Amino acid sequence: MSVQPYLQVFRFSARLVRRSKRTKVFAAVSLLPVLIAAVLQITRLASPGRGLDGLEVFSNVVMGFSLQFLVLLLSLFYGTSITADEVENKTLTYLTTRPVPKAAIILGKYTAAIVLLVILLLTSTVVSFFILNIDRLEYGPAWTFLGKSLAALTLGTICYTAFFTLIGTFLKKSVLVGLFFCFGWENIVQYFPGSTQRFTILHYLKSLLPGMGGGIGPGTGKGNEVLSFLMFRLEPTPAATAVITLLVLTAVFAGLACWIFARKEYLFDE
Amino acid sequence: MIAGGLTIRADKLGKWYGNVLGLSDVSLEIGPGITGLLGPNGAGKSTLMKLITGQLRPSIGTVTIDGRNVWNHPEMFRRIGFCPEQDAFYEDTTGREFLTGLLGLSGYPDAEVRERAARALDFVELTDDQDRLIRGYSRGMRQRLKIAQAVAHEPDLLILDEPLNGLDPLSKRKIIQLVKDYRTEGRTVLVSSHVLPEIEALTKSIVLVHHGKILAQGDIHYIRDLIDAHPHIVAVKTADARGLAGRVVGEADVLSVRFDEKEGLVFFETRNRDKFFGRLTRLAADQGLDIEEITSPDDNLQSVFDYLVGK
Amino acid sequence: MAIAERGYTHWPGTLDPARRPWRTIARQGIRLAWRRKFFKFVLSFSLLPALVFTAGVYISERLGDFKNMLKGADRFLQINPDYFKAYYASSGVPFMMLVIMVLAGAGLIADDLRHNALPLYFSRPLRKRDYAGGKFATLAFFLLALTLVPGLLFILLKIIFSGSLKLLTDFPWLPFSVVGWSVVVSSFFSLYTLFLSSLSRSRRYASILMLAVYFLSDVFFAIFMGIFHEPAFLLLSIQMNLRQLAAAFMGAKPQFDVPWFYSVLVLAAGAGLAIFVLHKKIRGAEVIR
Repeated sequence: MSVQPYLQVFRFSARLVRRSKRTKVFAAVSLLPVLIAAVLQITRLASPGRGLDGLEVFSNVVMGFSLQFLVLLLSLFYGTSITADEVENKTLTYLTTRPVPKAAIILGKYTAAIVLLVILLLTSTVVSFFILNIDRLEYGPAWTFLGKSLAALTLGTICYTAFFTLIGTFLKKSVLVGLFFCFGWENIVQYFPGSTQRFTILHYLKSLLPGMGGGIGPGTGKGNEVLSFLMFRLEPTPAATAVITLLVLTAVFAGLACWIFARKEYLFDE
Repeated sequence: MIAGGLTIRADKLGKWYGNVLGLSDVSLEIGPGITGLLGPNGAGKSTLMKLITGQLRPSIGTVTIDGRNVWNHPEMFRRIGFCPEQDAFYEDTTGREFLTGLLGLSGYPDAEVRERAARALDFVELTDDQDRLIRGYSRGMRQRLKIAQAVAHEPDLLILDEPLNGLDPLSKRKIIQLVKDYRTEGRTVLVSSHVLPEIEALTKSIVLVHHGKILAQGDIHYIRDLIDAHPHIVAVKTADARGLAGRVVGEADVLSVRFDEKEGLVFFETRNRDKFFGRLTRLAADQGLDIEEITSPDDNLQSVFDYLVGK
Repeated sequence: MAIAERGYTHWPGTLDPARRPWRTIARQGIRLAWRRKFFKFVLSFSLLPALVFTAGVYISERLGDFKNMLKGADRFLQINPDYFKAYYASSGVPFMMLVIMVLAGAGLIADDLRHNALPLYFSRPLRKRDYAGGKFATLAFFLLALTLVPGLLFILLKIIFSGSLKLLTDFPWLPFSVVGWSVVVSSFFSLYTLFLSSLSRSRRYASILMLAVYFLSDVFFAIFMGIFHEPAFLLLSIQMNLRQLAAAFMGAKPQFDVPWFYSVLVLAAGAGLAIFVLHKKIRGAEVIR
């Protein structure tokens, strides 16, 4: 099976996505963690001894914001856009009358979206990390935590984007459903005790992160109890299991999206 | 069959959109050369083209190109080019980027993509505007770009859905010439329109579609003869309706006269419209008849169709 | 030979000075929103908080009958300004309003931009304010259905169930507060929706922007409040500003000790920005550079 068609669609979509005005807007949104980090770091420097540990702030505030809001929002928009944009703009015909399999259209556009999102999110996370930990770069565990955070963000992006790609292929109101999923299901059920929380993607992402909210680094302890909301009621799954689960979910969502796209007729609003 | 030509074959093809009938019991064969698909708006022309190009799946029956079903066989699009009806583009790209992007999907190497794109843009006379954003293109330019993306990979089967819609007469002439130029080497071209003279300018071979059914297929002269045989109504607004009627009623091609005194109109039913118009203008010029307005209420495809379906 | 021109002819009449074109646009917008199957369901669902609070009004007059069920919760069923503040400021109602805004409002201007309908509008004797007013009224209609109607209904039902005008004698300004607050919150959200809808030709993108901005403002508040414990950060949050204002309108104690007029300034600035952008975006001809 040739990968050429997938690469061609990827190149084509990557160019369109890069050029889009909305990408510039979302790129600015993805820099919000940097803004937060900058404001907090300035405050720390202005009032030393206030009890804010840079790593704790990064782990709870920046990662909390990125994982529970930013990844969801960006994946929702780009994932649902894969099909919805082409149908709304009536440009789908140009793609489906090319000698490329329909699965290549979905996977090529999906790959272009996640490459962009991963670049945006990882860049802003790394910059935020540096801003908040500029005085502690020699501290080894901080880098380990950064690595795991980047992995969590990457896996979160690919899994959420695959899910939203799937719902975008068959639901007209994919954004509304996606929003209920993000700000309803994911943000509420993740706090349910027991196995129920395992029915959220966020559970597996948080399971990848080592003890946040005071579990790492020389924190002063002050504010730890306020900042540990991300670990609140988390009954973590082992990291390896979490990674495998996320990858399997991604494959299932992407596979279903391709399957539905290949079989569905898309009618344009006249 | 000449090598290079593709044959479209539909057998008892039908398509429903829920309870709405799109096409019903369509059986036809279209071979190399230009074939016009003619029908009023909503007749089913676009539905038929979308079924042929695999955008839609038949509800019943089959449609094949050279014996193969297009639905989910994308490799066939190496030899098929489709120009859709909708005016839709990736607006933030230039004409050249749009073409090279789509050509890239056909699997050509980069150098060949650039070469083909340049040729296609030259073919549609968009070379000078190739680096402008599509958002800034005029209607005629957009239509030509659509044709360019359909012909850039030199398909053996070209399907054009209402390519002349919304164009000024000059742009229409350009596109008609483009389509005629494309018909070389035994290629198959299928063009749809709801305007008879446009199809007449392109081809003699037409398929008439009405209410989702094939009404007729064959030579355009047959349709023209039907139109000529079918009496025409000409409405004239003049202050001296009875005087005008008196001057023309004796002519052999005038079948009947009717007055609408309220509107100041006189309706002439004539068998030979061209002769009648010639006579009317002579009367106005020679005898100083004061004619305010001349219209032909049934000079449209719909009345031809009505005639064909026996209304 | 005289040839009469068969083209557009000048209408010899005069335009009615009392005409209100915005009403036509509003009626059309309401009709289009109402036609969507999903919208009717969501609107009904969004009236659930109102239903719950209406039940509360009834139960407040029958506390003895429901004593066993309530068991100490009856203190929440005092129908006073706090009750109204709880309804308006609770998370349920603003969220429902947000959903209605997304469904009925995201495409109000975005769809017109997508389909190039603005030149069609402005080829009629229509001013910008007529167009904007009509769109504004479309949304305000549905938002007032979630705010004004339930609020007045609570007052009316309390009077009926209690058989006395005690509520009004104790709090005579309450009906005016309900009307005032409903108008303020509906106006703000309508302007907010129209502003974001005008930024894009895609209704989907406008929907995401609406929710993103709303939730982002809350997230920022939560972050900075969590770190600095400074209530003034509530000025970053749309929801918190509205809650402060709701409390001020109802004469109830606000959640945070931040003067309510700061919230007024923040919301007014937002409304001003929305009006400015709408003025720029709503025009009859598209300029392509």
